[in-house]
Amino acid sequence: MNTLSKSRGFAILAGVLVVAGFLRISLGPMASEEGVRLGFSIASGEFLQLRTMSVLSAAVVGATLGLSGLALQTLLRNPLASPFVLGISSGAGFGVACVLVLGYLFGASGAASIFGGAWLTEAVGAVVGAALALAIVARFGRSSDGHDPTTLVLAGVILGSIFSAGTVLLEQLVPHGLRGDLLSWMAGRLPEIPETRNLATLGGAMALGWFTLAASARALDVSMLSEDEARSSGVVLATLRSRLFWVGGILAGLAVAYAGPIGFVGLVGPHVARRLLGPHHAALVPGSALAGAALLVAADAVRQLVDLGSGRLPVGVLTALAGGPAFLWLLRRGAFR
Amino acid sequence: MSAPPLLRAIALARRYGPAGASVGASVGASVGASVDALVETSLAIEVGEIVAIVGANGSGKSTLLRALADVVHGPGASGAVELDGRRLSRAEAARVRAFVPQRPDVAAEFTAREVVELGRFARGADDDAVARSLAAVGLAARADRPMHVLSGGERQRVAVARALAQIDGASRPVLLLDEPFGGIDPAEVARIVMTLRSFASRGAVVLSLHDPGLARQVATRAIVLAGGCVVADGPTRETLTTTVLSAAYGHPMIESAGWLAPDLEAGGTLRS
Repeated sequence: MNTLSKSRGFAILAGVLVVAGFLRISLGPMASEEGVRLGFSIASGEFLQLRTMSVLSAAVVGATLGLSGLALQTLLRNPLASPFVLGISSGAGFGVACVLVLGYLFGASGAASIFGGAWLTEAVGAVVGAALALAIVARFGRSSDGHDPTTLVLAGVILGSIFSAGTVLLEQLVPHGLRGDLLSWMAGRLPEIPETRNLATLGGAMALGWFTLAASARALDVSMLSEDEARSSGVVLATLRSRLFWVGGILAGLAVAYAGPIGFVGLVGPHVARRLLGPHHAALVPGSALAGAALLVAADAVRQLVDLGSGRLPVGVLTALAGGPAFLWLLRRGAFR
Repeated sequence: MSAPPLLRAIALARRYGPAGASVGASVGASVGASVDALVETSLAIEVGEIVAIVGANGSGKSTLLRALADVVHGPGASGAVELDGRRLSRAEAARVRAFVPQRPDVAAEFTAREVVELGRFARGADDDAVARSLAAVGLAARADRPMHVLSGGERQRVAVARALAQIDGASRPVLLLDEPFGGIDPAEVARIVMTLRSFASRGAVVLSLHDPGLARQVATRAIVLAGGCVVADGPTRETLTTTVLSAAYGHPMIESAGWLAPDLEAGGTLRS
């Protein structure tokens, strides 16, 4: 992949991100003669500020998911890997639910609604849940160990349903109001009014993960060879893998704590980046972040257009409706050999 | 005091056993016996040598090569490898010693050239070294094709080129190849053998081969393995004989089936 086509790839990704961001800012409910309806306008004042924050929030979550997906795909040498597919998002969701229920039962967070100030504890719960799920699913092997890549995915899907069932079980322990909150959050929902503090924490973690991956880009390329070749080429695989494990796990966990388990952005983001930028991690790291951000901002913009009568959809529904078929298409095309 | 050998293996061993079987700890564990894939082996290999490791399937050829490459890990592995008399860190060793496993693999859509470039991880990017290595395996013209459109034999040659590029520039390089000629045309085998010979003028080559006739032509020295033990080690003329190989393969057929390897003779020396 030459420099020219790489620049073109980055330009495409940045272009989609900017256009989607502009649409997201301009689209929204407007007052009209028949009441409130959807419209397109140049937002200003408080609207502009709020919607800009929303774009920023979607972009950061998307970039976090894209980087997490890339870390997992490289760690497991498996292009089917992603936080959602491997059940890591569900593990993180379960961690958050544990924290919420414990908080409710022992009154620590005063039965607060989600993100009622306990963001840090929830984030910790999510990261622990994500790391637990990743540790379990990674036992099912990298493709280099002679495992069929689909075994890993199958294990992830099963693990995901176990954790989801656990979350539903926990929901029974909390009162109705909180349960509804939890349910809609489990569908993957960007906060309507992003909290600066939470967003800044997520953004900081995302930047740290980005830096960690970018700093070992060359070693990551070599790790795509077989284990024996990577080791004898001078890569200390154990160190590299624990780095990937923690970047993948922490970013997936934090993204879930912030926005719920949003599917397919972490899977499709790195794939889009690979198609546009080639297989080298020096380009894939920024590319996956950019692609993830562009995908999620675009989905968030489209979401503004859909109103089935009960308010806007959780963004996770849209990413699943668009990303699921994309995943199947990739699977059928044999993109995962 | 003489200079240390280029490559020295000190008591390399590899045991697969019940629950990893650290020696002595498994006295009480009688469920299943542990298997020695490689019984304690010490070797010294000098500059100028092309050493063939020969033996039946499962005799420990790959295990010995992987141990020499320092990629064997786990509770059953022991021993050490010195290069020029020193134990090196992984990064230092990668500058002078390269390894091609039996089944090289790459899980990304790299081109042949990009894979060979990965070989420069330890020594730093060098387009000339990459071009030389690709030419040495006859792939200069197909270097910009993606790996997944290359044939099995071509992918094998790419892996050899990657290893050559890795140690291009080392003054005393060591090249370890596990069954490097699988699926490769005879003409290309001949080309790679020429490369290995000129390589051995500066360094050493250790390669496992299942064909003793080919080993006889390529190597200067052979190590014959049976059941994880070295049963013969010496110049190919003395080790790759029908007598030694019949004993090593545990099969008298080799003696009568001379047509499989016409230039093998009888005689030679077996270790007791």
